[in-house]
Amino acid sequence: MSDRSTISLTVNGEPVTAEVEPRQHLADFLREKLLLTGTHLGCEHGVCGACTLMIDGAPARSCITLAVACDGAAVRTIEDFDDDPVMAELRAAFSAEHALQCGYCTPGMLMTARDIVTRLPEADAARIRVELSGNLCRCTGYVGIVNAIQRVLKARAGNPSGA
Amino acid sequence: MTSGIGARVLRKEDDRHLRGRGQFVGDIKLPGLREVAFLRSPVAHARIKRIVVPEELRGKVFTAADLEGVKAIRAVSALPGFKPSEQPVLASGKVRYVGELVAACVAPSRAEAEDLAERVEVEFEELPVVADMLAARAEGAPLVHEQWGDNVYLETFVKGDIATAAASAPVKVTREFRTARQCMSPLEGKGVVASWEPRRDQLVVYTSTQQPHIVRTGLSECLGIDHGKIRVIAPDVGGGFGFKGILCPEEVAVAYLARRLGRPLRWIEDRREQLIATANCREHHYVITAYADREGKLLALDAEATVDAGAYSAYPFSACLEAAQVASILPGPYDFPAYQCRTWSIASNKPPILPYRGVARTGVCFAMELILDAIAREIGREPHEVRQKNLVRPEQMPFENVTKKHFDSGDYPECLRRAVTAIDLEGVRARQKRGEADGRRIGVGFSIFCEQAAHGTSVYAGWGIPMVPGHEQATARLTPDGGLELRLGIQSHGQGLETTLAQVANEVLGVAIDRVNVVHGDTEYTPYSTGTWGSRCMVMAGGAVARACQEMKKRVLAIGAKMLQASLDEVKLAGGEVVGPAGSVSLAEVARTWYLRPQDLPADVDPGGLEVTTGYKPVRDSGTFSYAAHAAVVAVDTELGAVEILDYVVVEDGGVLVNPMIVDGQVYGGTAQGVGTALYEEMPFDEAGQPQASTLADYLLPGATEVPAIRIEHMETPSPYSEFGQKGIGEGGAIGPPAAIANAINDALAPLGVEVTETPVTPRRLLAALAAARRSAA
Repeated sequence: MSDRSTISLTVNGEPVTAEVEPRQHLADFLREKLLLTGTHLGCEHGVCGACTLMIDGAPARSCITLAVACDGAAVRTIEDFDDDPVMAELRAAFSAEHALQCGYCTPGMLMTARDIVTRLPEADAARIRVELSGNLCRCTGYVGIVNAIQRVLKARAGNPSGA
Repeated sequence: MTSGIGARVLRKEDDRHLRGRGQFVGDIKLPGLREVAFLRSPVAHARIKRIVVPEELRGKVFTAADLEGVKAIRAVSALPGFKPSEQPVLASGKVRYVGELVAACVAPSRAEAEDLAERVEVEFEELPVVADMLAARAEGAPLVHEQWGDNVYLETFVKGDIATAAASAPVKVTREFRTARQCMSPLEGKGVVASWEPRRDQLVVYTSTQQPHIVRTGLSECLGIDHGKIRVIAPDVGGGFGFKGILCPEEVAVAYLARRLGRPLRWIEDRREQLIATANCREHHYVITAYADREGKLLALDAEATVDAGAYSAYPFSACLEAAQVASILPGPYDFPAYQCRTWSIASNKPPILPYRGVARTGVCFAMELILDAIAREIGREPHEVRQKNLVRPEQMPFENVTKKHFDSGDYPECLRRAVTAIDLEGVRARQKRGEADGRRIGVGFSIFCEQAAHGTSVYAGWGIPMVPGHEQATARLTPDGGLELRLGIQSHGQGLETTLAQVANEVLGVAIDRVNVVHGDTEYTPYSTGTWGSRCMVMAGGAVARACQEMKKRVLAIGAKMLQASLDEVKLAGGEVVGPAGSVSLAEVARTWYLRPQDLPADVDPGGLEVTTGYKPVRDSGTFSYAAHAAVVAVDTELGAVEILDYVVVEDGGVLVNPMIVDGQVYGGTAQGVGTALYEEMPFDEAGQPQASTLADYLLPGATEVPAIRIEHMETPSPYSEFGQKGIGEGGAIGPPAAIANAINDALAPLGVEVTETPVTPRRLLAALAAARRSAA
């Protein structure tokens, strides 16, 4: 069962080399081996989006990404965004708009939200909802989440340098 | 700016979650931790002939035979005639549903533990399966618990004098309704980490629960270990919605094995386990006859309700809570004279049902509100007019209805009027006349309901389930630097109680919100509590915090007065300081004096000091009654069976709002779940009792594109019974949508003679109803 492979990748800017089982998904690798527990597991079949993180700059679901497939990749988890200016705006907006309750979907939701904000500066509420369709939240009814993303988009539109 | 009652304070709990630094049970790692995977029954009903555990797996795989001294879970009810079930921790003799635990497998990783489970052989002798509650109720059905002689946990009958109305009422409407079995589906599943701590000779159980103290009591009973040797900790909990108000067999098994093996063990539920085996809820069937006059005034209601409670009575709410609740709350917010209701709580070869947000209210509201619309169609009136004929009126408050429910306060007719205005009923009717360019049919629907919350001893004593809530207790402790610690036995898992309870303390003591530390979810540090359920925390825990802080205030003033050399009646507490005629001292200075400079204390100082534990019950414990009117506009595509929600309004009265932002969040979130109940969510089983949804691709949760931009209006009628006039409001959002949305669909399709009576209203169901209507018209 354990034909382990050695992978080398960067996680949150740090080089990591590790042996992994072929069946281990990226989220388990990060959570169990690197103790980066900010990436949450909701369904482990790629529907709920709680495990969303960044691989090579694009959002990805770490529960249906095998760790062995990440050899050479640059992975960023929620723990790496403390000093990220966009994420700082999103954190403030999520709190102001009550866009989280239990907090379980929140790290994945923030990853997708950041992607929307940086990729789709013109997005309206309807587009934001479509973009959020890969992230389930069971607490908020999405109202606060959509409002928070809109709030950040609006602030950034008024301040294009983004600072 | 005030941060007391009524302030829109941002949540103290947000920052850790926004940085991925919440701590959920699956995040807990202990040295030497091993993972547990359960072998679950693949069949719904069978005798276990034998279980073969390969020799080399001894010490790694455990079956019922290995659980020495572990008792079955028993959730009884004192209601006359209730038949209790014995829910084995690991199946013994028989399995009664697919997914029932058969063996626990222990390995370094979950994947390896699952590998072990595959190597265990179980020989089953399959038995006839009963997977439908009406079949299970019928004579001669296969028996889930043979010794009972039938499959009825409990039958209840509320007898009423309906004969007069039945004989003379000009309008009689009979309908049959069904609500699907659902899964509450919090984003985080259940999970447990248990370890035996030799230093304290104590079992420490981290578990994803709403009720840490109840889990501790349940573990104590099942394992035969003193409460003092068990500590239950609920860390951050990723949503509960009722599902985590349970003692589950997995908790008992993992706790037992952690002690026996002397090493920490962890079981983290996966989504498949949750869907097929652990998180089932809400499967109702109704047959209701309503009698009314030509104006739509209800004269009598005759109802039968059946609830599929599954294979076992779950701890602590039991298998009969839901049906017993149906009987008592079916009349809703309506004033009518005659009522009769028979209910059955039925055992079937499906997972035990647990309470889900709103519990029986969602089904009850669906049945009652659809019956009222059926009456309206029968007599050719607007549905809201028929409701206005029947709603309890504000001048009747407090009001006792036909089942002796005590409504505390409110203006229900006004609530409905506001919903009618907000949804623009006239505008929708005009639009319906014009027709839609795309051929879809527009409909508008309403529902109005009440949400009894924070009901206490007097209500639960009669049900006699394993826990009856009494006084809710809180500890308040001023720290030497003037900070405040609040300790409560409830658990906050998204409701924001770390913030709102701090607001209560701020209201009474003036302590800044960021100096208040709310400790909850840990039996070691908190007073006993039945936990977080029944929308009780803001009323009960909020009341307890108020009481503890009021007592603290007295003690602070006594010390402060002495420090200011003033008399007690010359000092007051303002802005977090004791203010006297000639100066003031801060809470920190008062606290420092008590703890570190006792020589400066008054001679008659309260020896209890600056630590207060006290209890609270409302003036009446029959519950606060929040209520709301929901209104929906839908567009129905009769070719595809698709339903789109075009507009959605909630007019809600939750009494005095402690934090309006958090209340709105509860209403939005509950309503989104209600949209799921109405249109998407269904946990079906086939005739063999096999679950037909096992992933979130089969069990559809509403996403951001399915949930409309909900509009909320508030009324704020204080409850006369709670500390600040607040009412419990956590569940209401989830109660109204299935009724409002189904009524809107029926409004859209009335010209075609189509009426839906079952949730969820899926495209398949809708197309079947359309086809049936076409057939009967032809």
